[in-house]
Amino acid sequence: METMIQIHQVSKAFKGSETITNVNMNVNRGEIYGFLGPNGAGKTTIMKMILNLVKPSSGEIRVFDQPVLPTSVQYLKRIGSIIEYPVFYDRLTAEANLDLHCKYVGYHNKSAIKEALEIVGLHGVGKKKIHEFSLGMKQRLGIARAIVTKPDILILDEPINGLDPIGIKDIRELLLLFKKNYGTTILISSHIVSEIESVADTIGIIHQGQLLTEVKMEDIRGQHAGSLEAYFINLVHGGKRYA
Amino acid sequence: MLKLIQLEWQKNNLSGYFKGLAICIAAIFAAVTLMALGSKGENEPMSYADFISLSGVLIRITYIIFSSVILSRLVIDEYKSSMIQVLFTYPLQRKKIIQAKLSIVFGFCFFSIIITTFLIHLLTYLLNPMIGLFDASIPVAAMMAAVPATVLNAFMMAGISLIPLSFGMRKKSAPSTITSAVIIGFLINASVSDGGSSSSLFQFIAIPIVLCLLGLILGYLAFYKVDRTDVA
Repeated sequence: METMIQIHQVSKAFKGSETITNVNMNVNRGEIYGFLGPNGAGKTTIMKMILNLVKPSSGEIRVFDQPVLPTSVQYLKRIGSIIEYPVFYDRLTAEANLDLHCKYVGYHNKSAIKEALEIVGLHGVGKKKIHEFSLGMKQRLGIARAIVTKPDILILDEPINGLDPIGIKDIRELLLLFKKNYGTTILISSHIVSEIESVADTIGIIHQGQLLTEVKMEDIRGQHAGSLEAYFINLVHGGKRYA
Repeated sequence: MLKLIQLEWQKNNLSGYFKGLAICIAAIFAAVTLMALGSKGENEPMSYADFISLSGVLIRITYIIFSSVILSRLVIDEYKSSMIQVLFTYPLQRKKIIQAKLSIVFGFCFFSIIITTFLIHLLTYLLNPMIGLFDASIPVAAMMAAVPATVLNAFMMAGISLIPLSFGMRKKSAPSTITSAVIIGFLINASVSDGGSSSSLFQFIAIPIVLCLLGLILGYLAFYKVDRTDVA
């Protein structure tokens, strides 16, 4: 299987203290990779490193089989992302924000904006300005912005924060739809284990900056009586005792 | 590059600043004209040269502050709201993005000073016969002779208008950007007088040149390592 994102022995130190230690990760084409870890484990930092926002102290990251260098930018055209909470230009409307996004990426398909708003359930509020949006609506718009250009890789950092149960269900279906229809590779992080469990093909569990394990969801279903949560807690707690 | 400037323009609705520009021009002209009219009754009425140098001081102070407002909107606010993170996930050279932003600030300051100076000269020339600011008519030749100096001044102020960037970027604070612009603006334009003659820092040609270069260097330093640093 083709590897879309490959992280090899990557470490990152902020001001001397290491937050990411020798992480190896492989995300294959067309799979949903669930990224689990307690708060502050380093999920966001790794995602930022894939997007070239944070530079690794050592190790190598390859995306689309090309190494990510400090000045690489072209590969970003094929990645859609949400990092932390979504930010927009508050004084502009939702549509204008997406339009700007498309122009910056260099994606010219006028109907895409409307489609994306519809997919995330924001049709009808496209003409509203962002400062009138609730957190859940911003989160949905953030997802719309990530998918509007139909990227090959989606990097979603905590995309279901602040969403209502219907929103969570919508996102779950959306991810599966993208995987099925466009063969999109999706890297999704969350600390809500049950959500990851229901969509992911592969799970990576990170704790205190170290990738504890990378395992196929099928294997967990087979070996651990189907409960990812028990597996996760056991791993993280086990890790803590040895740390 | 032009496309980036255009996008920046569009998303920050910079055309709205033209209204501010018009108000500035009107206010500067009104202030200087009123001072000139007010001084007519005194034993030392304002001469045309005084009039022009006073309006020049006001123009320079106004636009260095105005530019710092745009600078904080384009650069500082974007860092503060972490919008810069989104901007840096686009397939564009990060240097180009920052360059586009700084060129807008530089260009705005440069052209505003030139336009305002031109309009104030024009208004003075046209209105002088009506409101009688000066007894003698205004020499057109003197106006024309001032063109190269105006362009040079505008260029130097545009360079200086980038200095507040380095103050603002330290704590990503818009207030400190604008405050530093106010201080710099007043410091180099304030004139000192011993009764007979007056002078200001801006008149010693070396000082504005050095500061302009400093501004351009600081602007360059702001983006030369943007590829290598983390965007937190």
